Amino acid sequence: MLYKVMGRDVFKDFVKSLISNYEFIGPKRKDKAVHDFVPIKDISELDINYKRTTIPPAKKILFPPDEKLVAYEVNEKIKVRPVVESSEKVLFGINAWDINGMNFLDRFFVTDFVDENYLERRKKLIVIGMDSEPTETNFSPSMDSEYAKDGFDLYITELKDRYFIRINTARGDEILKKYSVTENALVKDFKDYNNYMDNYRKKFKLDVNIKDFYDNFELIYDDDEFWEKVAKNCYSCGSCNLACPTCFCFNVKDDIELNLKDGNKTREWDSCMLPEYGLVAGGHNFRPDKENRLKQRYRCKLKTFLDKFGRYACVGCGRCIEVCLAKINIADNINSIKKEVSV
Amino acid sequence: MSKPKVGIFGITGCGGCQLEILNLEDQLLDLVNAVEIVHFTEAITEHSDNYEIALVEGSITTEHDVERIKKIGDIAKIIVAVGSCAVSGGLNCLKNLYGVERAKELVYGDKKDWIDSIEVKPIDEYIRVDYYARGCPPNRLEIVDIIRSLIIGRKPEIPNYPVCVECKRNGNTCVYDIGITCLGPVTRAGCNSRCPSSATGCEGCRGLIDDPNINAQKDLLAENGLTVEDIINQFNLYNACKKVEAKESSK
Repeated sequence: MLYKVMGRDVFKDFVKSLISNYEFIGPKRKDKAVHDFVPIKDISELDINYKRTTIPPAKKILFPPDEKLVAYEVNEKIKVRPVVESSEKVLFGINAWDINGMNFLDRFFVTDFVDENYLERRKKLIVIGMDSEPTETNFSPSMDSEYAKDGFDLYITELKDRYFIRINTARGDEILKKYSVTENALVKDFKDYNNYMDNYRKKFKLDVNIKDFYDNFELIYDDDEFWEKVAKNCYSCGSCNLACPTCFCFNVKDDIELNLKDGNKTREWDSCMLPEYGLVAGGHNFRPDKENRLKQRYRCKLKTFLDKFGRYACVGCGRCIEVCLAKINIADNINSIKKEVSV
Repeated sequence: MSKPKVGIFGITGCGGCQLEILNLEDQLLDLVNAVEIVHFTEAITEHSDNYEIALVEGSITTEHDVERIKKIGDIAKIIVAVGSCAVSGGLNCLKNLYGVERAKELVYGDKKDWIDSIEVKPIDEYIRVDYYARGCPPNRLEIVDIIRSLIIGRKPEIPNYPVCVECKRNGNTCVYDIGITCLGPVTRAGCNSRCPSSATGCEGCRGLIDDPNINAQKDLLAENGLTVEDIINQFNLYNACKKVEAKESSK
């Protein structure tokens, strides 16, 4: 890691240069409720002081909601070709917990199989991080995710009169040299950065007791009354999964044209909260009840990948709490599990 | 392989579902190449009673409709109900809430006896229906998918999950966040979240998913300021023929 500082005026010119030289994706106000990461053509559209985004920016770029995987042609012979669509992009203004969410996907999409579509896009994605305001539902510090150690090219932190920049890749260093003027960070800059981080961490109000979850979850797992209470108003709508920066499940569909010659295999986001997720040939459903599906989701997020990858499949962004119309709150539920088993 | 013969019929409805098929534009030529259309009320004058697949729009509201749908049911091997009226009775069912006699009187006054009108029902109250292309109007791409699936002998993929899934895939802001109520959480997807994508609440034209959480939806609408009457009206708009009861159990 290299550390630099950049003046305010220089920062603005740097952003402008990136917008004119790259396919630039950044936060823009969508409506009164949320921001969205979209292609930016002019710096006036960019609003880095965002708070809420519904869909995690890295997920929607790297693992889009639907994409072609394979195109085929059925004539005397069957022709099949893989479809990998990718282009170099700058993802600007993504915050630390969403970078950590992307780091999880990075791990998932190369571990048991190598997903070329994901990997091609990931290689070409220049990631420039910046902190954003946490929402009231955010518990990233509990999940060790309010700070990103890696996964980005540059991470820019706004201090009072200048920007503190962490350089994580040679590519990031080159971009900075090419489009900007920086100085080496000195002790004074580190001091200010530390002060900033202390204050930034104070903005996260929600505390989740994750350390006591791992063992206690097994005690509560068969407590039907508890899970019925938690899942009572669940719509099985999948919003929690689909808005999650680490949820990776997908379904592959076969789309053949009406000419019955050309077709595609496409994938779309799937969700373990939908009743048909656990439905198999012959009509058996492994998880027919919403209570079952919900507790399975908690296991996947908070235990399975801790065992498999040594990290949670949750970065504490709080989106699943915000999008849930049934007000199911994973933070409250994690905290209440210890209380339940202690009674 | 000979092309399957298809009849496209309109019973009582606005005709908009047939129009959706005509609106296929990019795929219409492929469609008429893939099947032989022998009847299409809104589009062709030719008619034949020799067809294997019937696409039927509209609900049953007169004795004459009953005769027509039974005949279609006798001839066709596969029947696809197209659009809310055929699938669930649709908007026409609002008549039933008044009672047939009262509705006739309100509309036709002292000439009400001239009118042949019966209680509104969806077509599956009279004949077997194999597939449902839901919606008002239906999603024309779903109609194509059903026809294509029939040709290649595959089960059409009709979603059994709520509209929320499509809203998230489309990156929509939840309309509840901008002060609009919506039936999306209990309504069957397949419309590509057409209304919420335009910042309008879902009115439930595709009917409910198989296992909707009606209790949760009632709580949600009440929290958002709707009275019991408003809530019943919302559920009834497209589903008055299908009684919506909250289940005792939360499952």
